Amino acid sequence: MKNIKLGCGSAWARDRFEHAVELVKHGNIDYLCFDSMSEVTMSAAQVAMMENASTVPYDPYLVERMRPILSDCKRKGIRIITNQGWLDPVAAAERLISLAQELGINDLKVAAVSGGVLHQAVADMDINFIETGEPIAHARDRIASAETYMGAEGIVQGLAQGADVVITTRVADACVYLGPLVHEFGWSFDDHHAIARGMIIGHLMECGTQITGGYFADPGYKDVPDLANVGAPIAEVTESSSLITKLPETGGLVTEATCKEQLIYEVQDPSAYMCPDCIADLTRVSFRQAGKDRVEVIINEAGRPKTDSLKVLIGLTEGYTAEEMVLFAGPGALARADLTKDILRERFKKVDLKAEEIRMDYVGMNAVHRESTPAPPDDPYEVVLRIAVRTSTRAEAEKLRKEVDPLAVNGTYGTGKWATMSPGSRVQPVVGLSSALIPRQKVPFIMTLHTTTN
Amino acid sequence: MKTIALRELAHSRSGEKGNHSNISVIAYDPALFPLIKDQVTIEAVRGLYGPITKGAIHRYELPAIGALNFVLENVLEGGRSRTLVFEESGKALSSLILTLRVTVPQSTPERSQAHNKGIL
Repeated sequence: MKNIKLGCGSAWARDRFEHAVELVKHGNIDYLCFDSMSEVTMSAAQVAMMENASTVPYDPYLVERMRPILSDCKRKGIRIITNQGWLDPVAAAERLISLAQELGINDLKVAAVSGGVLHQAVADMDINFIETGEPIAHARDRIASAETYMGAEGIVQGLAQGADVVITTRVADACVYLGPLVHEFGWSFDDHHAIARGMIIGHLMECGTQITGGYFADPGYKDVPDLANVGAPIAEVTESSSLITKLPETGGLVTEATCKEQLIYEVQDPSAYMCPDCIADLTRVSFRQAGKDRVEVIINEAGRPKTDSLKVLIGLTEGYTAEEMVLFAGPGALARADLTKDILRERFKKVDLKAEEIRMDYVGMNAVHRESTPAPPDDPYEVVLRIAVRTSTRAEAEKLRKEVDPLAVNGTYGTGKWATMSPGSRVQPVVGLSSALIPRQKVPFIMTLHTTTN
Repeated sequence: MKTIALRELAHSRSGEKGNHSNISVIAYDPALFPLIKDQVTIEAVRGLYGPITKGAIHRYELPAIGALNFVLENVLEGGRSRTLVFEESGKALSSLILTLRVTVPQSTPERSQAHNKGIL
């Protein structure tokens, strides 16, 4: 019986590089799948390109991730699926072709899947923001990015054409796993139970080591062996069974508990997990420990037909933010932090800081759970005052550091400095994300093939 | 009966979707799921996260794995792309739910004790 093994090469753009290398060496896998995105990735890439014209339009780590594995993958027949194409999968594919030539791989075939990047055209599509109900057209001048969550069809088409590597723009993260399963088992996109099974396997795999002991350890409650060397997950899939395991002789663990945590991760209504190619009912999933670090995923007819629309993420320019910290310790640390807060409020008035929002927290006391933090001790030993502002212009945001750095000589006794050696500006432009639904026929995918030439 | 922290009965993971956060509550022992379901209510969760949750709180059940999923709307001050909040993605929000006090039969095993005895 066909048993397809999929390995997770990365869970996001800045995940560890060693997972992919180890999987290729020791994983005995058929497919190596990379997710390189979080929600903010594409809009951040668009901003980076606006600020610096020499920025590549795809994942800047593309070559660094592929160089150590590309030759071995080709030799072993491990096919690579990755969404590192970001804003321009064709440019990314061409870059991989030149890498292949440099590495002496003379018969590499790369499929680029494009089509979901809409840019300003999203303003002409007569659709509204989900969050506010406002027409996107009203925000036309502020659109910095707009990209669709595409399905797995383009990946399947690329694999059918014999691609060694499929590189895509934004697809729903799990699709880099669903695509190869559809290709291998010949599932129809109308078979929503099969598609949902592939999607659920992809959902479990897409965050990498979050299912093998990462983001899990709680000493004394949930211990994880050798977390420093946590191993990448591997899915083993047959026509009738689904199993999650991990690279042998690595740290971490795969248990029903790690799988349950990941099943619900970033999910809203679990009975209707919305995907581009189906709706998946996660309440019809359960787990069975089948051996050490081996968990069977039991998926009981969990699919419903896909909807007529796809989700679009729209990034709008929304001004600037800046962030600073001031450090205190020892007796009276909190009183000095309080006084510093008062001084800053007065200074902000004096320099007429026009901020849309100012936030001041005490790191170590209430900065993480914020106003929901249980009552802190009266006299903590250390207090880090963190100040963040949002403004509509860069010049207003620059005022924050101009008021915080001088506290070194104008502030309270024992005022500690944070990162004052870093030169230049710490002001960040904001591209705020909103979402919309778009009729799926308006966003066709485009698959192109790119090959090395001898 | 005894009153203990939910942390002794369940584990949790949080994730983000735009300006919303989801926080799961998963029973270590599925037999304890009915008890957790009875006590870990939307009202109880609002008692903890109310001060930072600007929208609705929803609760979903996953009985096949003995778990609840809470969705806290508008809890991330705009979401990761625009928030001024220090912990921008809400990945650290899950630990707060495990401080919830729950009342259980005296004989209910507590995770930390079982752990110390080397049972786990």
